Amino acid sequence: MHLTQPRRGLRALVAGSLAAFLLLVGAAPATAADEQNGVEGKSFIIATDTTFAPFEMFKGGEVAGIDMDLLKAIAESQGFEFEVQSLGFQAALSAVTSGQADGVIAGMSITDERKEIFDFSDPYFDSGVQMAVAASDDEIAGYDDLEGETVVAKSGSEGLAEAQKLSEEYGFTVKALDQSATMYESVKNGSAVAVFDDYPVLAYGIAQGNGLKVVTDKIPGGQYGFAVAKGENQDLLEAFNTGLAELKESGEYDRILDTYLADPESASNGTFLDVVADSMPALMKGLWNTLRITIVAFIIAMVLGIAFGFMKISTSRILRGIASVYVAVFRGTPVLVWAFLFYFGLPQLTGVKGDIFWAGAATLALNAGAYLTEIIRGGLRAVDPGQMEAARSLGLGWGKSMQRVIVPQAVKISTPAMINQFVITLKDSSLLLTIGFAELLYQAQQIYSVNFRTTEMLIIVGIMYFIVITILTWIANTIDKKVNK
Amino acid sequence: MSAVIEVTGLRKAYGSNEVIKGIDLSVESGEVISLIGPSGSGKSTILRCLNQLETATGGTIVVDGFDLTDKKVDINEVRRHIGMVFQHFNLFPNMSVIENIMLAPVETGKKNKSEARAQAQALLERVGLGDKADARPSQLSGGQKQRVAIARALAMEPNIMLFDEATSALDPEMVGEVLEVIRELAKSGMTMVLVTHEMGFAREVCDRVVFLSDGVICEQGSPEEVFGNPQQPRTKEFLSKVL
Repeated sequence: MHLTQPRRGLRALVAGSLAAFLLLVGAAPATAADEQNGVEGKSFIIATDTTFAPFEMFKGGEVAGIDMDLLKAIAESQGFEFEVQSLGFQAALSAVTSGQADGVIAGMSITDERKEIFDFSDPYFDSGVQMAVAASDDEIAGYDDLEGETVVAKSGSEGLAEAQKLSEEYGFTVKALDQSATMYESVKNGSAVAVFDDYPVLAYGIAQGNGLKVVTDKIPGGQYGFAVAKGENQDLLEAFNTGLAELKESGEYDRILDTYLADPESASNGTFLDVVADSMPALMKGLWNTLRITIVAFIIAMVLGIAFGFMKISTSRILRGIASVYVAVFRGTPVLVWAFLFYFGLPQLTGVKGDIFWAGAATLALNAGAYLTEIIRGGLRAVDPGQMEAARSLGLGWGKSMQRVIVPQAVKISTPAMINQFVITLKDSSLLLTIGFAELLYQAQQIYSVNFRTTEMLIIVGIMYFIVITILTWIANTIDKKVNK
Repeated sequence: MSAVIEVTGLRKAYGSNEVIKGIDLSVESGEVISLIGPSGSGKSTILRCLNQLETATGGTIVVDGFDLTDKKVDINEVRRHIGMVFQHFNLFPNMSVIENIMLAPVETGKKNKSEARAQAQALLERVGLGDKADARPSQLSGGQKQRVAIARALAMEPNIMLFDEATSALDPEMVGEVLEVIRELAKSGMTMVLVTHEMGFAREVCDRVVFLSDGVICEQGSPEEVFGNPQQPRTKEFLSKVL
């Protein structure tokens, strides 16, 4: 069933592409199609998954993999440029439908449901789902052994669909997870007995020593396609198809696939120190992004906190009300909701492409600003009212009294809580990996999705966070002691 | 001499609770008066109305020619003529002693920094704390703090000084040093209104004593009259308890 449907769609697609192609050729008396392909010299944003080796993977801080190499070769032959955004699978799809990205290539199976929202290219890979278990597992040898057990598959993937289809017949439970590395870890640690994943992905992971083994035959089906939002970027789709055909003809296509599937070089044979050394450049880049966005967000948050903090102690009921609503809204909603809203939702409403750094910074700033509002209000309130009376009795105005007498004391009272909030914001910034912001934890995920050294990477990142936060806290406390004697 | 403080029909209510129920009071230039009476009688409230730390709900207050009930009057300007000393000193802990004293003259543009510093040092000498200029308020005893607070109020060169129970929060052995400073001020001809529980002191330095009870003036007169020969039963009752 799953076999025929994509093919029917495929035929329609090919026919459509062909018609468009002929139209193009007929309309212009050009000799070479790629001079008239409408993408020449243009630049596109292509969204992709973060963790789908060997289709998407990070190598030396760069996105590599079958998808990337194909895209690069096609872009070269068709004369367009592209910028890759590694967002994670679901986020990559959202990015395209929301107009944040022009196209998506993410080892994405062509399905009827997806064709409702996307226009697909010609399939560039014939995949298929396979089941793998822990290498040490001698009990699960086929679907028959799965009764009463739990298996994992990737959210929104063919693997999940296949597993769900089989689950009724064989009586097992399917749990959806977001990343290949997480799925493999849960099989290794026993929280699931098996994983359903696309066979090239499994094969690559096993070659990298992810500790699994394949126990079933490949379920055929699942063709991968490049996609654009329905009705949009047809030139790009066209160029992809033309380029793909050229690659297949020239043999470049097979060469690219062989690089990753025939004999992938293993990345995981190093010691812990090798892992640290190999990953450090990417992790330092992530750390820099973490610090950058935290500091920018915290500065904005301080401005918000001061503004709303003063509004909270104002005599105006309206100003107090506005500040209270702000605090209630941003304290009462999860950071992630706003991250998604700012990065994916807002562009859909406004039609303006969002910038990931500012979407992330705004998310953190508005959240921290709400807490800082309360911290600053508390600090101002904690100053003895007699201080204001004394300043006013000397003939100073309200503003001068605040500036010279109340605020310096309030700052002193609030500083420890502010430092605390800074640390919380720094840690919260890791949530931005969900929209694809390349901060520290995101970089770690990129790395362990390729080398499968999940535990080690998490330990390294944990230590890095700890060291940075300890140093920053120490600096802040030292300044606090010097300034607020 | 004309009156520098003229209070007519002063009323003050917190919600439905009226604490000042119609007070007429006039203070001549150079006069030293003290407000006495049981707690809750409204002494401090009257004092705080004189520089608008409390807003009166009725009546008029004219201080130094400014009608405080007139919205057009710049209250900050009026306050610069009225020094106030609080029960709990209210020194600014984020500043040194001399900075506390210099703050208002510098911020209001009355003096530049070096003039203000020289004046502040002179005032500290006057209250006997010339060596404490660079100390933090937290390093001072209660009596010292209150003397600094008096110096701070004097730095604006006011013509009226208000003392709101200036010695009530002090340990007994420190009361004397503060009263000494106030006594000197009284001798210098400063117009002063004191809310105090120091009956002996009031009798010694004041030109007039005003006895308040339940938000009204019950009796007033020279210290000899009020302390020596009180007319009202409530005055007698109060004095019998405190003397």
